[in-house]
Amino acid sequence: MPLFETVFQEKPTIVLEIGSAYSKIGFSAEAYPRFIISTEIESIKDVLKSKEKNIYDQTVDFFNKIFFNYLLVSPKDRKISIVESVLTPTIIRECFAKVLFQHYEVASVIFLPLHLVSISTLALDTALVVDLGYKEAVVIPVYSGVQVINAWQAQPLAAEAVHDEIKSNLILNGVKEEILSERIIEDIKVRTCFVTKMSRALSYRNNEQLQAAPDVEYPIEGSDVIKIPGLLREMAFEALFPEDNDFMGLPYIIIDAILKCPVDARKELAENILLIGGTSSVLGIKVRLRDELRKLLKSDIYKDRLYIDDVKFHSAPAKPNFTAWLGGSIYSHTDLISNSITRESYFKHPRIPDWTTYDSSITRSQG
Amino acid sequence: MEYLLSKNVEYVCECGLLKPLTNLYFCRHCLNLRCFFCCHHEVDSHFCRNCLENIPSGEAKLRKNKCNTCFDCPSCTLSALSARATTIQVPMTKEVKEGGEGSEIEASSGKMVSKKMYYLACLACRFSSRDVGISDQPSQNFFWPEQEYMHAIRFNTILNHYYSVVLHDKQLKQEERRRRSTKQSKFPNMTDRTGLNVSAIRRQMGFDKSAAKPKSKPTAIAPSIAEDVDDLPEEIFTQPINLKNITTIQQRFTQPANQPESVKHLYPQHKNLSIKRSIRCRHCEHNVIKPEYNPTSIKYRIQQFASSHVPEVRIIKCDQLVPNKSALITLKITNPTMNDMIITIMDLPTEEEEKMMIEEMRKNFEKNLSVSNKSSLMRPSLIEDSRIVSCKITAKLELPDSSFVINQRDDSAEFDDDVQSDKKDPKFILWRKANKIAIQLSITPNGELKVNDDVKIGFSMNFTYSSVPSSTPEKKETQRYALCARIYINAGKIVQ
Ligand SMILES: Nc1ncnc2c1ncn2[C@@H]1O[C@H](COP(=O)(O)OP(=O)(O)OP(=O)(O)O)[C@@H](O)[C@H]1O
Ligand SMILES: [Mg+2]
Ligand SMILES: [Zn+2]
Ligand SMILES: [Zn+2]
Ligand SMILES: [Zn+2]
Ligand SMILES: [Zn+2]
Repeated sequence: MPLFETVFQEKPTIVLEIGSAYSKIGFSAEAYPRFIISTEIESIKDVLKSKEKNIYDQTVDFFNKIFFNYLLVSPKDRKISIVESVLTPTIIRECFAKVLFQHYEVASVIFLPLHLVSISTLALDTALVVDLGYKEAVVIPVYSGVQVINAWQAQPLAAEAVHDEIKSNLILNGVKEEILSERIIEDIKVRTCFVTKMSRALSYRNNEQLQAAPDVEYPIEGSDVIKIPGLLREMAFEALFPEDNDFMGLPYIIIDAILKCPVDARKELAENILLIGGTSSVLGIKVRLRDELRKLLKSDIYKDRLYIDDVKFHSAPAKPNFTAWLGGSIYSHTDLISNSITRESYFKHPRIPDWTTYDSSITRSQG
Repeated sequence: MEYLLSKNVEYVCECGLLKPLTNLYFCRHCLNLRCFFCCHHEVDSHFCRNCLENIPSGEAKLRKNKCNTCFDCPSCTLSALSARATTIQVPMTKEVKEGGEGSEIEASSGKMVSKKMYYLACLACRFSSRDVGISDQPSQNFFWPEQEYMHAIRFNTILNHYYSVVLHDKQLKQEERRRRSTKQSKFPNMTDRTGLNVSAIRRQMGFDKSAAKPKSKPTAIAPSIAEDVDDLPEEIFTQPINLKNITTIQQRFTQPANQPESVKHLYPQHKNLSIKRSIRCRHCEHNVIKPEYNPTSIKYRIQQFASSHVPEVRIIKCDQLVPNKSALITLKITNPTMNDMIITIMDLPTEEEEKMMIEEMRKNFEKNLSVSNKSSLMRPSLIEDSRIVSCKITAKLELPDSSFVINQRDDSAEFDDDVQSDKKDPKFILWRKANKIAIQLSITPNGELKVNDDVKIGFSMNFTYSSVPSSTPEKKETQRYALCARIYINAGKIVQ
């Protein structure tokens, strides 16, 4: 650290990752975000349904909270990094830029592609990054420090799907819908559910009799107690592994992303998988994915197309839900990508560059 | 009473948003309404809400905006922890005899003395620092053991590595540029043909000290290694779980670094600081709110709340509202200033006029901007684009046929209960009381309204405003201005 203090006298960059459920907020060169808070921009979840003005106002209000209630800094003339997925709709990226430049008068904004910056936390420049967040699972391979954008895969296989599964299941079990708020559903998921073993999932699917994990008595706000069946605890996350003819489950989209990469990159990608996003903190997900992927590698559809023997996973020095933020903290401190948009250039051309123009100029991320 | 509490009278801020008067500011320099949304906010000072200590902002930054001495409860996440004392018996040591505390342990003669020890506890839930294995401390202002972050070292190594990579890259590029610029020099020197140039020769001869400087090399780093994955523990399928021992996601997020899953790892968290913020008008850069530095004070050095400058309108009473049937509404208007006001109630501008007003405001702002640019070093703020008011009027309002005067505020007359009525007053004025006046107007809800639809009326209220004399020479004297506020009122719902 002392090395930097002399070089970097200026104020640290503010690093923000505005997820559809949770925002991770903090400063560059720090090892973890200062806060993880609920994202209070409703329309990020359903952006296309709402009007742009509405998102603008909500973003102004939410950023006001971030700067003045949490980070306690005046944003004027500060540098800002936004860590976000390349699949973020342009309308949101442009809205953030407008709010930051016009309303908060920041000095510069840089948009950091989440999948790319995540692997800097591993000190690697090649990895297959799987983001399991709230809305979607997004898979993007990064090869030699460049995102293989055309190999991306995205499916609505993330927290929301699991929440829907828990909710409909409990309602089927006779629980009143009114008491099942989003908060309670999430709490049930976080505290009682896990990803079950592949063999057990198969047995359940074939209607074999198994002794399910123990039920849990779950008190709701002190008064009612509802029963969380052991079967639900095990099966809630099966929403991420749908078994139908579309081959759209999590293991399939991971394999498909690898398949879309050049042959000589595939083995390295398969042996360097990085799971990020809060949904990957659930117990059992890594081992389940490993087993599912191994099975697929040997299956008839993929056996003769992939030339991969095994898959391997990394652990970043971070909790999964802020691994991408951490990458942003590293990138912002070191200027690994230097195309930030300055205030002056924004007002000359209030256009946010596209990702395709971004990637080419990324400096190599390894020495 | 319901009328007094609800937000059914709203004023149009200059930015076009509708806000209750109590949520608006008034810029004395621009003579216009401003709101939270369209003003510029700044961090004024940092303080701890619990111990009310003021922390200079440099220090706050070093402390990562956390209070050194106060802790939040990690369990209920709602309240601060307080230090509690217990008395324990310890063998007497020399140190204790001398009245001090120390490390020298020299038990003498097995005599026991009592000693105070402290732990942290929550008064709201039953959390205590003992629950998570923090040993009691000899002083309540003692530095409680800090939680270590398991990835701290690895993170620093990675950060150093990338930093050195980028530095190295920059140096390479610089060198490249230097090489190129000497090659393309306009004055080629003799040695060029031999492939050598001056600086290369100098370097060979050992003249060039700067070139001899060791180049920074990227620091080495061991890349992450993909490990084997742990299997699910078998007992998860057989052992019941105890919800009480598993943290909620809110508890996890109060410790973003570790996000513990077990309540055993819920550590007391240093309390986050709070700020006082000052709020600035974007048009003229003057403050509308500037708090006092002292954290225990809730006063302001500057406070320009609209409610002390702009007449306040409230609904007192309204008849039942039926489409196409006229009803009477009674409004109370209060003059908060120390000068009499002449008030004229008029129609709202049409959408065309509203657009023109916005355009004019924009032009004015740009004009001021170019003027102020020359004189001041401070870069003026930008303004939000003003908007057309989003509220739609759903009833016709019969305007009063004349202007009227509201007396100035007179603090001594506050308890005067006499209702004055003035014979000369026009009919629509029901009564006057000191700086208050009640008027009665007739409204007709639109025909297409359904049961339970809101009936919205609106008007422009012109009022005379006398500026408060200030110390600046050009504003020494009280000046009178004619100002205008646009007001939207929700009169109630349609009944059968
Ligand atoms: N520490 C944790 N333990 C258990 N579950 C967690 C944890 N952190 C996050 N989650 C779960 O992971 C889900 C996704 O969180 P995450 O922060 O990755 O979402 P997001 O980034 O807002 O979503 P998206 O990336 O889709 O925009 C949440 O719904 C939450 O329930
Ligand atoms: Mg995310
Ligand atoms: Zn406003
Ligand atoms: Zn304190
Ligand atoms: Zn508590
Ligand atoms: Zn002003």
